[in-house]
Amino acid sequence: MKAIFKRELRSYFTTMLGYIFLTMFLVLTGVLFYLNNIYFGVTSVKNFFSLLTSWAVFIIPILTMRLFAEDRKLKTDQLLMTAPVPVRSIVLGKFLAAGCVLAGALAVTLIYVIVISFFGTVNWAETISCYIGFLLLCGVVLAIGAFMSSLTDSQIVAAVSTYAILIVTVFLGNIAAALPDPFQSLLLWLSPTERFLDFAMGILDPSALVYYISLIALFVFLTMNVMERRRLS
Amino acid sequence: MIEVKELVKHYGDKKAVDGITFTVNDGEILGFLGPNGAGKSTTMNMLTGYISMTSGEIRIGGIDIIEDPIGAKRQIGYLPEQPPLYPEMTVSEYLCFVCELKGVKDIQAHMKEIAAKTGVTGVLSRRVGNLSKGYRQRVGFAAALAGDPKVLILDEPTVGMDPNQIIEIRELIRSLGKEHTVILSSHILSEISAVSDRVLIMDNGKIAAEDTPENLARSEKRDTVKRMLIRIDGESEQIEKVLDSFGDSFTYERINEDYELTLNADAAEDIGRKLFFAFAKAELPILMQKEEEVSLEDVFIELTQKEEKR
Ligand SMILES: Nc1ncnc2c1ncn2[C@@H]1O[C@H](COP(=O)(O)OP(=O)(O)OP(=O)(O)O)[C@@H](O)[C@H]1O
Ligand SMILES: [Mg+2]
Repeated sequence: MKAIFKRELRSYFTTMLGYIFLTMFLVLTGVLFYLNNIYFGVTSVKNFFSLLTSWAVFIIPILTMRLFAEDRKLKTDQLLMTAPVPVRSIVLGKFLAAGCVLAGALAVTLIYVIVISFFGTVNWAETISCYIGFLLLCGVVLAIGAFMSSLTDSQIVAAVSTYAILIVTVFLGNIAAALPDPFQSLLLWLSPTERFLDFAMGILDPSALVYYISLIALFVFLTMNVMERRRLS
Repeated sequence: MIEVKELVKHYGDKKAVDGITFTVNDGEILGFLGPNGAGKSTTMNMLTGYISMTSGEIRIGGIDIIEDPIGAKRQIGYLPEQPPLYPEMTVSEYLCFVCELKGVKDIQAHMKEIAAKTGVTGVLSRRVGNLSKGYRQRVGFAAALAGDPKVLILDEPTVGMDPNQIIEIRELIRSLGKEHTVILSSHILSEISAVSDRVLIMDNGKIAAEDTPENLARSEKRDTVKRMLIRIDGESEQIEKVLDSFGDSFTYERINEDYELTLNADAAEDIGRKLFFAFAKAELPILMQKEEEVSLEDVFIELTQKEEKR
């Protein structure tokens, strides 16, 4: 697993994709930080993260689109699948590499928190829960992206299909609002972005944690399954 | 070392591999020979655990590939038809990655060793994507050697190489065959007969023949017609008159200046001598007379076409 993780992580920075992602992420967070915090002189990161969730999900597929699709196109899956390594290590190694780049990018945004702490008081409970929640939410997006990437040999198809799912998820809250109650609460309950609102309030709700972690586990597991199944074709 | 029993692979309705059984002994070099689409790559993909079989059994060093896939894979080095390379990596990065993947202990030293064996030491710092096809093939070969596996499975190992490289790689395969069990595939016969201890001719997913290269050529010699090529100085009418006088000992065909005779099996004996005197009598000098040997090529064509007619 370590070998796969290391290679994947390095490939983000030899193929530019890692830099593209980091640049977009930092520009996006920089703009949002300026608009939400500096401009209005607000010390709370709540709004910053609420907005970020809607936008960030659209750059995360950059990290996942090539994860498995590229291997299939280059036939390097023949190397990985015939190596004495279990499928779960291959999938986890790749997933964690993508997660690592994301966590790295998120770590850079801590600078903003430090900036805030110079000019006002930081609500640490809220900030920490926002970071945890956001990381988990991104984990879900990464897992969905990885899963879509395992279904195809085209990076474009992987990215576009991930976007399709994400668009529906992001607007699930809005769609829910238009529906009568049993459906409304169900959709709200299902929506990963609605769940995030709890974290933004500074609440570390165990059920939300479990929800995110099980979603991640589900898609990682499905990805492993796809890889196993493909041998049968 | 390798036991394969009743191996079958279906792709939908298509039977890519149709019940093949064979074993490969320790330290043996087995050649898979067959036309395009014979099922060579499919068989190799099953041996290495890349795809699963529809039915049948594969044991590598006594380990069943279904019961303990990791244990079986640990013993195999595989060079697929298209070498599985990451173009953005340098050769040394790539080989180190493969070594790590295969759990090699002293990665740097081992990487240098396999690079030296396959002659890629000079390109270690180049990016894989910028290498020529022959060198990419070599890097793929080096990757197959990583971890010093007991079994090497090489799918068309010399494809895309120049003649000098082919000879080098053949030497390498032959030397590896002393300590490893090797299966290699090709549609080029000279390729296979040059290095293999035993040849397995595949066609349509079945085994059409199995023997040493020498035996295959010999057995075929017995029951096929011989051919002879002659060149005579003279008018074609005169030549054909002489040839006609031999009756049904052979049939002939004109190819440019020359005549190709297809001899009848029972008349084949001593025909060269008879031809010489016949043409001498007609005062037509024989400029060239050549018996064509039955090559493995003929055996291959014979066997695979027979299969098609069925
Ligand atoms: N993924 C697949 N789906 C459907 N059919 C396939 C697949 N892979 C191979 N086949 C079919 O199985 C047959 C055997 O293919 P295979 O690649 O094993 O042949 P081969 O002997 O390696 O040929 P070549 O000399 O061209 O490499 C072919 O008819 C091919 O079309
Ligand atoms: Mg092939």
